Amino acid sequence: MEVSFTQEIESLRLGNGQTFHGEGILAITKALLQSGVSYVGGYQGAPVSHLLDVMVQAKPYMDELGVHVEACSNEASAAAMLGASIHYPLRGAVTWKSIVGTNVAADALSNLASPGVTGGVLVVVGEDYGEGASVIQERTHAFALKSSMVLLDPRPDLACMVHMVEQGFRLSEASNMPAMMELRIRACHVRGSFTTKDNVKPALSRHQLIDEPASFDYNRLAHPPVTFRHEKLKGDERIPAARHYIVEHGLNEHFDGQHQDLGLIVQGGLYNTLIRALQQFGLADAFGDTAIPMLVLNVTCPLVPQQLTDFCVGKRAVLMLEEGQPEYIEQELATLLRRSDIQTPLHGKDMLPNAGEYTAEVMANGLAKFIGRYLQDPATQATADAARAWLQGNQTRRAEAAQQLQAPLPARPPGMCIGCPERPVFSALKLAQEDTGPVHIAGDIGCHALATFEPFSFGHSILGYGMSLASRAGVSPVMKRRVLSVMGDGGFWHNGLLTGVQSALFNGDDAVLLIFKNGYTSATGTQDIISTPDDDAKNSASDKQASLAHTNQTIETTLKGLGVQWMRTVNTYEVDTMRATLTEAFSTPFQGLKVIVAEGECQLERQRRIKPWIASLLKKGERVVRVKYGVDEDVCNGDHACIRLSGCPTLTLKDNPDPLKVDPVATVIDGCVGCGLCGANAHAATLCPSFYRAEVIQNPRWFERLVHSLRGSVVRMLQPS
Amino acid sequence: MSSNQQPISLLLCALGGEGGGILTDWLVETARHAGYAAQATSIPGVAQRTGATTYYLEVFPVPVSELDGRRPVFGLNPLPGRLDALVSSELLEAGRQITNGLASNTHTLVISSSARALTTGEKMVMGDGRRDAAELLALVNTHSRARHVLDMAALTKQAGTVVSAVMLGAIAGSGLLPFARRDYEAVMGDSSASAKASLRGFALAFDAVQAQRAQTAYVEQVLADEPEPTPTRARLPDALQHEFPPEVHELMALGHARVCEYQNAAYGDRYADRLRGVLAAEKQGDPQNLHGFRTTVEMARWIALWMAFDDIVLVADLKSRASRQARVRTEVKAGSDDLLRVYDHFKPGAPEFAAMLPVSLARRVLAWDRQRVAAGKSPWALPLKIGTHSVLGMLALRGLAATKRLRPLGSRFHTEQALIDRWLDAVVQLTALHAPLGHEVALCGRLIKGYGSTNERGKDNLLHIMDHLALPALAEPASGPQRCAAVASARQAALSDEAGVALDQALRQHGAPARPVKEQPIRWQHNPRLKVRAGT
Repeated sequence: MEVSFTQEIESLRLGNGQTFHGEGILAITKALLQSGVSYVGGYQGAPVSHLLDVMVQAKPYMDELGVHVEACSNEASAAAMLGASIHYPLRGAVTWKSIVGTNVAADALSNLASPGVTGGVLVVVGEDYGEGASVIQERTHAFALKSSMVLLDPRPDLACMVHMVEQGFRLSEASNMPAMMELRIRACHVRGSFTTKDNVKPALSRHQLIDEPASFDYNRLAHPPVTFRHEKLKGDERIPAARHYIVEHGLNEHFDGQHQDLGLIVQGGLYNTLIRALQQFGLADAFGDTAIPMLVLNVTCPLVPQQLTDFCVGKRAVLMLEEGQPEYIEQELATLLRRSDIQTPLHGKDMLPNAGEYTAEVMANGLAKFIGRYLQDPATQATADAARAWLQGNQTRRAEAAQQLQAPLPARPPGMCIGCPERPVFSALKLAQEDTGPVHIAGDIGCHALATFEPFSFGHSILGYGMSLASRAGVSPVMKRRVLSVMGDGGFWHNGLLTGVQSALFNGDDAVLLIFKNGYTSATGTQDIISTPDDDAKNSASDKQASLAHTNQTIETTLKGLGVQWMRTVNTYEVDTMRATLTEAFSTPFQGLKVIVAEGECQLERQRRIKPWIASLLKKGERVVRVKYGVDEDVCNGDHACIRLSGCPTLTLKDNPDPLKVDPVATVIDGCVGCGLCGANAHAATLCPSFYRAEVIQNPRWFERLVHSLRGSVVRMLQPS
Repeated sequence: MSSNQQPISLLLCALGGEGGGILTDWLVETARHAGYAAQATSIPGVAQRTGATTYYLEVFPVPVSELDGRRPVFGLNPLPGRLDALVSSELLEAGRQITNGLASNTHTLVISSSARALTTGEKMVMGDGRRDAAELLALVNTHSRARHVLDMAALTKQAGTVVSAVMLGAIAGSGLLPFARRDYEAVMGDSSASAKASLRGFALAFDAVQAQRAQTAYVEQVLADEPEPTPTRARLPDALQHEFPPEVHELMALGHARVCEYQNAAYGDRYADRLRGVLAAEKQGDPQNLHGFRTTVEMARWIALWMAFDDIVLVADLKSRASRQARVRTEVKAGSDDLLRVYDHFKPGAPEFAAMLPVSLARRVLAWDRQRVAAGKSPWALPLKIGTHSVLGMLALRGLAATKRLRPLGSRFHTEQALIDRWLDAVVQLTALHAPLGHEVALCGRLIKGYGSTNERGKDNLLHIMDHLALPALAEPASGPQRCAAVASARQAALSDEAGVALDQALRQHGAPARPVKEQPIRWQHNPRLKVRAGT
C-alpha cells in the first residue's frame, strides 16, 4: 500500500474523552469501531480508500476486537457481504467510491434493501462529484430513493460525522433500512478533531460466534411473492419508522435566526460552505450563528414531511440549497408544500446552477439573488453591497487575467509516475501503429487511463472498471483492423475476467487484450490483489531492484484455465519486443482472443521496497549500483521526439547551451530511477544518439577499483580534451 | 452578530508527489501547537501522480483560549478574490489559480516559486513550446496585494529536502499567520536526517522571504529580460572582421569557429564565402540598412549549423571527449570515490553508413535497404550500446572520429552542400528582391536539425516551403509581402507537429499544395471474417 498508517492505527485505539486529530475518513473508521461494528468490507477508490487501508493494516487490533475485515474483490462483493445483517443482529459497514461503485453494487443493494436488515448496515460512499472528480457526475441520492435506503449527508465536521455514523446504525436498525452515508471528497480529506469514546467489541463476532443459523424465513428472501410485501413494508412501516427516529433524535438540525420570515434548507454536507457564503453578506458569524433560520438535513432520505412543512409555513420565502441534478429534494419539498396548500415561495435551482459543485462562490451568487429579492436590512446593507461588488469583481478579474495572457495556460493533467512500467507499452503502441496503421483502443479505468493525456492521447472509450474488452464487442466485428483493449490487473480482477474474457472466449471473438500486470491496484493507492507478489517473493528476492510481478502467475493460469490459446508475456520495458508483439497480435492469422500480459511491477511499490534496502546497504558500506539516464546537450537535436514518445516527468527541457542553437535541449533531471525506457526508446524508435546510461557504483570492490583505474588511464590517453 | 472576524485562508498549490499533504499537516499541527483552531482539506483524488493539485487551509486568528469554548465553522473551498494567501511551488500553477480568479490585488498575498516544472504539452513541441515566465510573473504582480517570488527549486536542492519544507518556511517568513517561528519548527521534528534537511529548507525560505528588499529586487531582475548567456568568445579572423559589419561579428565568429572545427580551415573559407553572398544581397535589398543586417546575422547562424551537420563522426567525437566525461560525472552526481560506467545508445542504419561512402556505393547500400523494406522487413539498423568508459568503446569512438578527414568524400557531404546552396541561392535572390521575404526564408534554417528521419523531414519541409511559398515571388514580385506571412506561418506550423498536419493545412491555406505523400509499404492482412460474405 502506498501509505503507511502506523500513527493512524494508534488513533483508532483512543478511548473515552480523548481527542482524535486527523482526516475525516479516518474519523469515520474510528466511529465504526465505536459503534460496535462486526464486519467491515469494501473496495478501494478515492476518496474512501483510507478507510479500508487503515483497517487492513490494523489487522492485529481488529482481531483483538473481533472485527472481521474483508478486502472485497469489487463493490458487488462488498454489498453482498451486507447480507449477513438480514438475519442476524450484526452491524456491518462497507465502503466504496460512488457513483461508480454504487452502480457495480446495485444488484446486491436492491436485494438487500427489499427484505431489509436486522443488524444496522452502513454503506460509506465517497461522493466523487465536482471539482477534481475522476468519474461521471451523478448523484447517489437517486439510488437511495429508488431502493428505499436511508441517505445520510452529515455536516463536514468530524464530531457531527462521527455522531451520524453511530446514529446511522441505530436508524438502520429502527427502520430495517440499510443506510448510506455520502461524504464529499473535501469532507473525506478534511483535517479536524473530535472527542472519542471507547470502542465497542461487537456482541456477535469472530470471538463470539453464532451457535445456530437462523430458522428458515421466506420473508427474508428477495424473491417473489414476498418482494411485493417488502414493497408495502417500505412505505407503510420502514420509512415512517425512520422518520420517527430522525425527529426523535434530532438528526436534522434547526438553527434559528433573526429573519424569521425567511428560511434556508441545506444538505448537511454543504452547511460549512453555506455559512462561509452567508458571512460574506454579514448574515452569519464565524461560529455559525446565522441571521436566516436554517434547516440542515443531515439525513437527506427519507425526508420528514412534517419537519419541512413546519419550517416553511408562514415564511415569505425559502431557499433550498441542493447540489447536483435532478433536484430530488426540492421536487419532493415542492410537492409537500403543494399538498399541504402552503403558499411559501420555494426557490432552489431557479437561483442556483443545475450542475456542478456548490462552492462558496456559487452559493454566494445564489444567496445574492435570494437576499436581493427578499431581504432589505439596513444593518447589513453595506456588507451585502460589498459582497455583490466582490462577486462582480471576480468575473471582471478572470476576464482581465485571461486577456493578460497570450494564450490559455497549458493544462497539467496527472501522468504516470517516474519509471512507471506502463509508459514503455504506450511508447511501443505508438511505434506499432506506425507499422499497422491506427487502431481503435478500448480504454479502461486505472493508471493506464493516464495514457489518454499527452504525449500519447490513446483511448477511444472508457465504459467502466474492467470493461475494456467487453466494450469492444460491438466495435471489432465492424472494424477492418483489430481493436485493442487495454486493462490493468486491478480491472481484470474487478470485472474484466468475467465480463470481458469469458464473453470473448465464449463468442469466439477476434480480440486483442493487453493486461498490465503491475501487481497492484495502483491508481487507488497500490492495494494488494490476488496477483500481488507475495511477501515470501519480496523477502527472498536477491536483487530487490528487479520487478517481482512475474513471481505471481495467477493471471496466466486463470487465462489458461479458461482456454486462452494465444498468450504472450512481455517485459514492459522491452519496447522493441512489445512493439513486435503488438504488431503480431494485430496481424496474426489467429482469430480468437489474443492476450498480451505486459509484466512490470508498479514502480511506486518497487521504490518503496528498494529505498530502505539501498539505505541499509549504504549504511553497511556495501556495494550499490545506481542507474541514471542522461542526454548529451551537444548531441541532442532539440526536436524532442524522445519526449513525445515518453512523457516521463524527469525527461524535460533546458536552455540550449550552444549559443548558435535556439531550441531548448532535452535533459534528464534528478529523480530518474533508471528504468531504462530512454535507452529502449532510443533503440526502438531510432532516436538521436544523445542518450546515455550511467551506472554509478558506490562502495566498489577493490578489484573493481583496480580494473577501473587501469582502464581509466588508457581511456584518458585516447581522449582529447 | 457577535463576531465579524473571518478565518485566514490559504490555498496551497503543488504537483502530485511534492509533499503538499505533509505541508498541510504541518500547518494544522503548527496551529494546534500555537493554540489556534484550524482546518485543512484537499482534493488529491485524481491529481495523483504529477498532476496539479490544491490544498486549502483556514486558520481562525483568535487563540482558542479566547473563544469561550465556541468553535469556528471553517470553509472547505476558497473564496475567489477574498483569499488571503496563494502559495505555489510552481510558477505556472500560481498563474493557473490567478486565472481561475482566486487571487486579487485587494486581498491576496502570493507566495510562488519562480521555478517551472514544464508540462508535457510544453515539452513535446518540436521547437520551443515553453511558456514565457515573464508573462506569468506579470500575472502574479497584477493580481496580488503583496508577493514573494523565490526560486523554491533551488532552495530545495540547496537544503537537500522536499519543496514542502521550503513552502512552509516561506509561509512562516511572510508573517501571514499568527504563529511564531518556533511553532513551525516544533512540528517538523529535529532528530532524523530528513527532519534536519526540512529545517534547513525551512530556514532558507524563511530568511529569503524576510529579506523583503532583496526579494523585490529579485522579482525586478527576473522580470527584466534575462541576459543572454555569455558565449565562449570565439574570434573572427581579422580579414573577415573588416569585411563584415559589426552586427554580424558575434554569431559569425561562433559559426566560423564551428565549421573550422567540424572540418578544416578551408571549410571555414567556404562558410565565409557563402555568407558573403548573403551580405551582398542584403545590401542590395535593404540599401538603407533598416534592419541591421538581420538576414546576414541569421544566416551566420543557420549556415554554420547546417554545414556542421550531425553525423556519426561528429557524435563519436563529441561523446569521446574528456570534458564530456566530466560533465556526465556532475550530471549524475557521482561522488569522488564512486566508479562510473557510461553506456551510449546508438542505432546507426543503412543511411548513416551510406553517408560515409562515395555516391555510387552509397546508392547501392540504400537500394539494398529499400528492397528489404519493400519485402516487408524493417529497415536495417545496428542497435549498439557502447561502453564509453571502456578501452574498446573509446577506441571505437576515437577511430570513428578520426575518419573526419574522409568526410568530404562521403555521399552525404555532397548532398548537404547541394541543398545548402539551393537554399542559399533562394535566400540571396529573395533578399535582393524583397528583403523581408529573404529574411523569412533564412529563418527557415531552424527546420534543419537532427539525425535520420527528423533531418529528412526538416529538409523536405524547408524545400517545400521554399519552392511553393517563397520562390514564386521571383516571378511575381508584387506578392512579396503576402508571401512573407505565408512563409512565417508555414514555418511555425512545421514545428508544431511531427505528422505535418498543421503544415499541410498552412500550406493549403496559402495556396500551396500539401506535401506529397511518402511511400510506405502496405501490409495486406487476410481477414477470414470476410469469407462468409464472399461465400454467399
